Amino acid sequence: MTKQFSIFLENKPGRLSSIIDLFERNQIKVLAMGIAEAGNYGIVRCILDAPEKAAEVLRDANTAVNLVEVMIIDLKDMYSAVRVLGEKGINIDYAYTMDMGRMVIKVDDDAKARKALSEAGIKTY
Amino acid sequence: MSIRAHEFNKSQIKELQARKLKEVVSRVYQNSPFYRRRLNEAGIDLSSFRPDDIKKIPFTTKTDLRDNYPLGLISVDMSKIVRLHASSGTTGNPTVVAYTKKDIDAWAELSMRCLEICGATSEDVVQVSYGYGLFTGGLGLHYGAERLGAKVIPASTGNTKRQLKLMKDLGATVLACTPSYALFLAESAKEEGIDPRRDLRLRIGVLGAEPWSESTRKILEEEFLQSAHDIYGMSELNGPGVAIECRKKNGLHIWEDHYFVEIIDPNTGEVLEPGEKGEMVVTTLEKDGMPLLRYRTRDITILDDEICECGIAHAKIKKIIGRTDDMLKIRGISVFPSQIEEVIAGFEGLTPFYQLVVDRDGPLDRLLVKIEVSEDFKSDRLVEIVDLQKRLEEELRDVLSISVAVELTEPRTLPRSEGKAQRIIDLRKV
Repeated sequence: MTKQFSIFLENKPGRLSSIIDLFERNQIKVLAMGIAEAGNYGIVRCILDAPEKAAEVLRDANTAVNLVEVMIIDLKDMYSAVRVLGEKGINIDYAYTMDMGRMVIKVDDDAKARKALSEAGIKTY
Repeated sequence: MSIRAHEFNKSQIKELQARKLKEVVSRVYQNSPFYRRRLNEAGIDLSSFRPDDIKKIPFTTKTDLRDNYPLGLISVDMSKIVRLHASSGTTGNPTVVAYTKKDIDAWAELSMRCLEICGATSEDVVQVSYGYGLFTGGLGLHYGAERLGAKVIPASTGNTKRQLKLMKDLGATVLACTPSYALFLAESAKEEGIDPRRDLRLRIGVLGAEPWSESTRKILEEEFLQSAHDIYGMSELNGPGVAIECRKKNGLHIWEDHYFVEIIDPNTGEVLEPGEKGEMVVTTLEKDGMPLLRYRTRDITILDDEICECGIAHAKIKKIIGRTDDMLKIRGISVFPSQIEEVIAGFEGLTPFYQLVVDRDGPLDRLLVKIEVSEDFKSDRLVEIVDLQKRLEEELRDVLSISVAVELTEPRTLPRSEGKAQRIIDLRKV
């Protein structure tokens, strides 16, 4: 069970930096971060080491933030994991890499994916 | 409930208006050099004046007030004037309005009637958060609430934290302010950890001085107070208290014993039938200090003279759709901010805070609508955000008949206002 923070940001200089400043000021460590952009908007997706505190800090800063259930796997398992998910008809919405040789995956059915991977002997976090 | 508000039936109102119209025209003819000249030029014969002849009288405009700055339209001896108010006058001369003692008294009476129609009684605590001073909002509601015998907190505008503290500690039950400030107060209350249902006793909102929409009412009634009423007025017509929404909330009763209303086509000046949308033109029937004949309010609305279920015989005007001055002409099409507000309200995850930016791309006008998202905005999937933007653009295009670009902005990024909201940025070079 891993919670990812998805933060809506306008796609302009300084916005990401203000979020990073916020984390730093509150001693929140970023374990993984992926950025997606489309035109004027961006979404910053991140895994943070102190999720409860981070949720509070982000709310206080009036950010539009959603908490999303994601899976983490070891990078060494990527090939087999992707194959298993494909075979089981589970869609990967997006993925990005993380520190410690790991990878964050968002799938359309988290519980089903975890079960399928565990049956295939693949560790999820 | 006020005796005065229910005093008349429709036919009595029409009779009263016919008599008072003739009186006011005669009175200004005698006392105002400005109107004597106007009426002579228009060939109005007072001896045979019939109510329908009002249509022959030229309109009075804001420009007339400015051109006769400061006191050229006064119809009594200066010694009778006891109060002067003035508009902000951001363009050219301010508009000055003058009141006799009788005018102030009538204004208090109408303002009181409005509060009563909203359900306020002498038991209420009325927080007046309209500006006090040259602007008529604060003092107008103040006198009405005082006449009602209610307890008045003359909070005026600004210092939102203190406003909330007073509201809570003094148990305000009625809040009178602009709708945009009410939204800001509701938002700030949340920030201060004030739960309106638990910590506040607000029953009634008396909200005016700018057009507002049903979506604003919905937000306020769900989150902040029990019943939000639209109040209409302008300093040229005394101030707030000209018209008010009754409990049915499908139009504002305008006090026809004091104001004679016509709706005209703003371009041709032709008088329109009830039910047709146009600019409201008002003749004051009781004002002594500065009576106005056929004053062009610049407010766009619809007259509804059907009998209201609430039992008040005074005709209604629909919620103000916009002002001729707020009306944006984009590629020749009239656009009112209220139309945009209604569209935004139909979508989840957005706030009522928005901004319209108009500029020009070569010969073409472009309209950009910036809309602030709320903190519970669904922010994980870009495709959903882009889809929301597209659906907003499509719906706005359908409603406005022009293409519109939408930009979603982060929470708390658009300017807030304590008075009237500044929502339009027009970058077109005139």
